[in-house]
Amino acid sequence: MAAAGAVVLAISGYSGVPRGVCPDLPDRSHRPGERPAGTVASVLKLGRGEFEDAALLVMAIVNRTRDSFYDHGATWEEERALDRVRQVVAEGADLVDIGGVKAGPGEVVDATEEIRRTAPFVARVRAEFPDLVVSVDTWRAEVAREVCAAGADLLNDAWGGHDAHLAEVAAATGSAIVCTHTNGATPRTPPHRPSYDDVVAAAIHDTVALAERAVSLGVARESVLIDPAHDFDKNTWHSLELTRRLDEMTATGWPVLVSLSNKDFVGETLDRPVGERLVGTLAATAVSAWHGARVYRVHEVAETRQVLDMVASIRGTRPPARVVRGLA
Amino acid sequence: MTTPGLTAVLCPQPPLLFRELGGLADPVAALRAACLATLRDTLAAGPDVVVVAGAADGPVDPGGRPDVRRWGTTGERTGPGLPLALGVGRRLLDDAGWTGPTELVGLDVDADGADLRELAAALAARPGRVLLLLLGEGSARRDPKGPGTLDERAFPYDGRLLTALRDGDAHALATLDPTLARDLMVLGRASLRLLGEVGLRADGPPAADVAYADDPFGVMYVVATWRW
Repeated sequence: MAAAGAVVLAISGYSGVPRGVCPDLPDRSHRPGERPAGTVASVLKLGRGEFEDAALLVMAIVNRTRDSFYDHGATWEEERALDRVRQVVAEGADLVDIGGVKAGPGEVVDATEEIRRTAPFVARVRAEFPDLVVSVDTWRAEVAREVCAAGADLLNDAWGGHDAHLAEVAAATGSAIVCTHTNGATPRTPPHRPSYDDVVAAAIHDTVALAERAVSLGVARESVLIDPAHDFDKNTWHSLELTRRLDEMTATGWPVLVSLSNKDFVGETLDRPVGERLVGTLAATAVSAWHGARVYRVHEVAETRQVLDMVASIRGTRPPARVVRGLA
Repeated sequence: MTTPGLTAVLCPQPPLLFRELGGLADPVAALRAACLATLRDTLAAGPDVVVVAGAADGPVDPGGRPDVRRWGTTGERTGPGLPLALGVGRRLLDDAGWTGPTELVGLDVDADGADLRELAAALAARPGRVLLLLLGEGSARRDPKGPGTLDERAFPYDGRLLTALRDGDAHALATLDPTLARDLMVLGRASLRLLGEVGLRADGPPAADVAYADDPFGVMYVVATWRW
């Protein structure tokens, strides 16, 4: 027998467990701040939502359109759209992205009509879900002003700074912003023979420039996301390369949003029509999560949540849900 | 004769008592609560020393700590780590808030009776108030799905064990069949027999209490206290 004075234990544990996810899990970080390779983590402040460390966030798409490529107007009616919000929240969405204009060519929607489709709906969502982070997918500053007044937290500028005033609205309203790489494309224009010296370098250069500009205008640094914008002025090869090398983008330190859901690069890669692209989408989601992307803009919330949880546990930033086998 | 003021606590030794191994949900929340409540209750009496005894397959580092990385979680190894039983005991004491003197005693899982009697005599002769924390559990062959295959003999064996613990029956513990215990994967069999030998050296029967007895995963977990 020999005496052993008790000291505080230092045991390997989880350095990246999102706060609040597991309040009773003891903090036994072996090396505080240590993160798995490929992870760039920082606090994200998206309006009323604050997200810690390595949390992987699901942004559910809610279309207030008649002609979007995936749902073909399924949530055009306001009640249907609200049902969709309720459903995705129940499935674990961290934020919703409300859009009033189809990304691709289609029905002409002017700013007045876009505001009519989005702003009152944002207010309804805000009223029913006071804590939900609400994003609006728009490139127009005048729309941005109205939806922020209605309670939006995040402006998803999916057409990459086409309207230079949009970032000013974000700054003035204290909103967060997504800075997107579209290679200068005109909104709603499909790609035609795009070519790049280096598509990843271009995406990083342009999105970081937009992000720095947003910060210079007064947007909080922790409220800026960058998005390589798969398929926006890119062919399938370009989108695959962006996915393959997404770690270069996360290495910038800016939190990365990816929008992969059911897109044509998945369809062309697997030769699958819209409606049969979920498996390919989830594969791209897993690779992006491994590379450290933080926010995932998706149609299928529950499936994405499972993939992100699985990847996070493989990376070592999320403990498994419940482990018994071999340990009892 | 046993020092007045000796208290013995028996806790199981599954790796799951290292909280971080169970994941987001705690699969052994009820067991953990019983262990910690029992330890906090007995530690409140202010022992001069806590002696932790449990199975070990080699020399024990007296200042050692468990290294949970051996079983799971993430990050780097912190060292060789204590044997499972002593590591669980060490952690339970930490979790219960104990910062006082602590000694670790490794037991050969198949220690013969003479060795256990000698150790029990040494413990009984110690001055001061001693809390003896023993790590051990019943059979791991109570469920067809494992950990061991089902062995029907596990039920009467564990039944006798539980009755002895509830009744403060030191003789019954000291004479538990070691061969049968090995067959039934009773990994804490040395601790159970040591408790019996300590009890046989006491002035009388202990006040015995069983705070937990269940086999949620095919292993018989018991949390018991004997006070003299």
